[in-house]
Amino acid sequence: MNGNEKILIIDDELQIRRLLEITLSANGYKIIQSVNGKEALVDAATYNPSLIILDLGLPDIDGQEILKKLREWFNKPIIILSVRDSEEEIINALDNGANDYLTKPFRSGELLARIRAAIRSIENTSDTAILTFESLTIDLQSHTVKKNNELLKLTATEFSILSLFAKNSGRVLTHQFILKEIWGHGYSSQTQYLRVFVAQLRKKIEDNPSKPTLLITESGIGYRFGE
Amino acid sequence: MDFIKYSDSTLISNKIRHYFLSVIIVGVTAFLCIPLSNTQSYYVVSFILLFVVSFLATFMGIGPVIVAATLSALVWNFFFIPPHYTFHIEKAEDILMFGMFFSIAFLNGILTTRVRRQEQLAREREKRTDALFQLTKELSKANGIEEVIKVAIENIRLYFKLEAYIILQNGENILQSFKQTQKDEILSIREFEIAKQSFNKLEITGRFSGVSSNVEYTFYPLKGTRLNPGIIAVKQKSSLDATRKILWDTFLTQIANALEREFLGELAQKVRFLDESDRLYRTLFNSISHELRIPVSTIMGASDTIISSNNSKEVQTELCQEIFTASLRLNRLIENLLNMSRLESGHFSVRLDWYDLNDLINKVTKDLSEELKPFHFKVDIDDEMPLVKIDFGLIEQVLYNLLVNSTQYAPVSTIITLGAHHEKENLIIEITDEGPGFPETELKNVFKKFFKVNSRKTGGLGLGLSIVKGFIEAHNGTIYVSNRENGAKFTIQIPSAKPEIKKQVDPLYEWK
Repeated sequence: MNGNEKILIIDDELQIRRLLEITLSANGYKIIQSVNGKEALVDAATYNPSLIILDLGLPDIDGQEILKKLREWFNKPIIILSVRDSEEEIINALDNGANDYLTKPFRSGELLARIRAAIRSIENTSDTAILTFESLTIDLQSHTVKKNNELLKLTATEFSILSLFAKNSGRVLTHQFILKEIWGHGYSSQTQYLRVFVAQLRKKIEDNPSKPTLLITESGIGYRFGE
Repeated sequence: MDFIKYSDSTLISNKIRHYFLSVIIVGVTAFLCIPLSNTQSYYVVSFILLFVVSFLATFMGIGPVIVAATLSALVWNFFFIPPHYTFHIEKAEDILMFGMFFSIAFLNGILTTRVRRQEQLAREREKRTDALFQLTKELSKANGIEEVIKVAIENIRLYFKLEAYIILQNGENILQSFKQTQKDEILSIREFEIAKQSFNKLEITGRFSGVSSNVEYTFYPLKGTRLNPGIIAVKQKSSLDATRKILWDTFLTQIANALEREFLGELAQKVRFLDESDRLYRTLFNSISHELRIPVSTIMGASDTIISSNNSKEVQTELCQEIFTASLRLNRLIENLLNMSRLESGHFSVRLDWYDLNDLINKVTKDLSEELKPFHFKVDIDDEMPLVKIDFGLIEQVLYNLLVNSTQYAPVSTIITLGAHHEKENLIIEITDEGPGFPETELKNVFKKFFKVNSRKTGGLGLGLSIVKGFIEAHNGTIYVSNRENGAKFTIQIPSAKPEIKKQVDPLYEWK
C-alpha cells in the first residue's frame, strides 16, 4: 500500500465521518468528505478519489441513485457503508455496481481490510494475466493454477469459476451474477450447482476447506474472493 | 310453524263465508231431511240437526255456530214439528222439546268452539314457548356480536315473517347510523333521527307506534340491564296483536340480553388486552433501560478514563476492550429488538435457497469467536450432509442466539457442541451445553417473550429464544429444549429435502 490513495467519504452523519477520518487517516489515506448526494457527485468528479465509501441513506438523493450516477463514469471501487441490512438492498447495491457492502455498526478492522482488498483488485486487473493470492497463483493465459508451486487439477467449470472470482477479487459477487456468468441465464436460480462447485473448489485451493480464507461466503448474498 | 294469522281483511271475508256456510249447511240438511220426515219421527231430524251444529262448531267461530243453532231450531220447528209450515207448536211436550233443542244446540256449539279455542291457544302457547326456547338456545350458543345478530334476525324471520335490522351503539352510548348486517345500507337522516329517539328515550318509534309514524320502519329499543345495545328496525305491515306482542317483547329482551352479554364480554377483553400490553410495555421498558444503561455506562466510564487520565498502554488497551465488548452487547440488543419487531409485525419473508451448512456455521462461529473462546466449542457435522434449503440470515440468527445463550449460562471451560445431520428429509441441528439447564417447571416457558430464569445473573431482554422459535417456525420447523444429565439441549428440525443435482459433464482441464 503506498498510502497516497484518496478516499471520498459520503455520509451525512458527522460522527461516522469523524470516526472514518480518524481511522483512515491513521492508516495513511487522504480523506475527502461529502455530506449529501449533490456535493458527493461534484466532489467525486473534482478529486477523482481512488475509492468511495457511500452511505445509502442520504438526505437529498437516495444512495442507490448516486451509485448509479457515479457508475456512469467512475470505475474505481465503491464500498457501501449503510445501516440498511436487508438482502434486497445489498443485492441491489451490488447490481448497481458497488464492489462491497458493509453494514453499520461495523468493525473498523473489517472496513480497512475491505478497502485494502478493493484497492488491490484495481492493481491486480491492471497487471499481467498472472494473479497471486496468498499461496495461490492463477495464470489466466495458460489456464494453470498453482498452490505452493504445485499444479492443481481443476475441472473446466472449477477453473472458470476460479478465474471469475480472481478477476473480481475484493468484490462481492452475487449468486445470480456468478450463475449467469458460468452457466448462463437458464441456471440463474439453480444455486445448488454453485454450492457444489464452491465446495469442490475449496477442497483444492484452501488450506483448510472447512475454514476458508480465500473464497468467503457472504450471508445470503454471494461470495467474495481474495484477502 | 306458521305463526302469523291471516291479515284483517282475509279474516273478515272468512267470517262472512262461515256465516253463509252455516246457513247453507243447515238449509241443505233440512232439505235432505224432508223425505225422512214422512217415514220417521221428527225427533230423528232434530238429532241430525244437532249433529250438524256440533259438526259446524268444530271448525267455525262462535257467531256462525249460534246462527246455525238458532236457524236449525227454527227450521226444525217450521218444517218438522206438526203442524208443519208454521212456527206454531201444539203439544206441550213439543214446546219442551223445542226449548231443549234450542238450548242443546246453543250450548253444544258454544262448548265445542270454546274447547277448540282453548286447544288452539294451548297450541299457540306451545309454539311460542318453542320459538322462545329455540331463540334462547341459539343466542346462548352464539359467539360474538355478529353471530348474535345473525341468530336474532333469522329467528325473527322464522317466527314473525319480518325482515329485521339491528342497529348498534358504538360502545359510547351513541347509536351508529348503519344496519349492522348491511353496513352499506344507511338509514335516511329522518329515519336515523327517529331511530335515535327510540334508542335515547327507550320507546318504540316509527310506523304503528304513534311517535313519528310516517316512516317505513318501526324501531324497537333493545333494553339491557347495564347498557342498551341498540335498536331493532322492522318493516311491518300491521301492528302486532296482543299475543304476538308478548312474544315479540320477550324476543327483544332475549336479544338485548345476548347483545349486552357480548358487549360486556368485548369490553372485558379489551380491558384484559390493555392490561396485558401495559404489563408487556412495562417489562420491555424496564429491561431495555437496564440493558441500555449497563453497556452505555461501560463505554462512558472507560472512554472517560482513557481521555482524562494518563494510563499505561496496557490499561488503555484493556479499557478499549471493555468498550468494544459493551458495543457488541448494545448491538446485539438492537438486533434482537429489530428482529422481534419484524416477527411481530409479520412483515418479513423467508427467502429459501440452497446453502452449505458449513458456510453458515463458519459465519456464526467467526462472529462469536470472542464469546466462544473460553469454552471448548465442538462442531459435529455429518460428512454426508447435503445442501439444505433455508434462509441463511434467519438461521444464522437462530444459531447465533442459541450459542450466545449457552455462553451466557454455561460455566467456562465446559463443552458446547453444535451438531447437525440430515434425517428423513429433515435438517436436524442440536446444540448442547454443560450449563445448569432449565428448571423442569420452566421448560415450557423457555421460548416465551421476556422469559428469564429468575435466579440468573445474566442480563438480556429474554427475547433471544422467542426470536429463535419465531424464525424456526417461519421455516415450518420445530424447536424444543430438554435437560440432559448436565446441561441443556436444543433440538431444531427443519424440513429440507435433498437438492436435485444433475450430473454434469465436467472434464479435468487439458493441461499444456
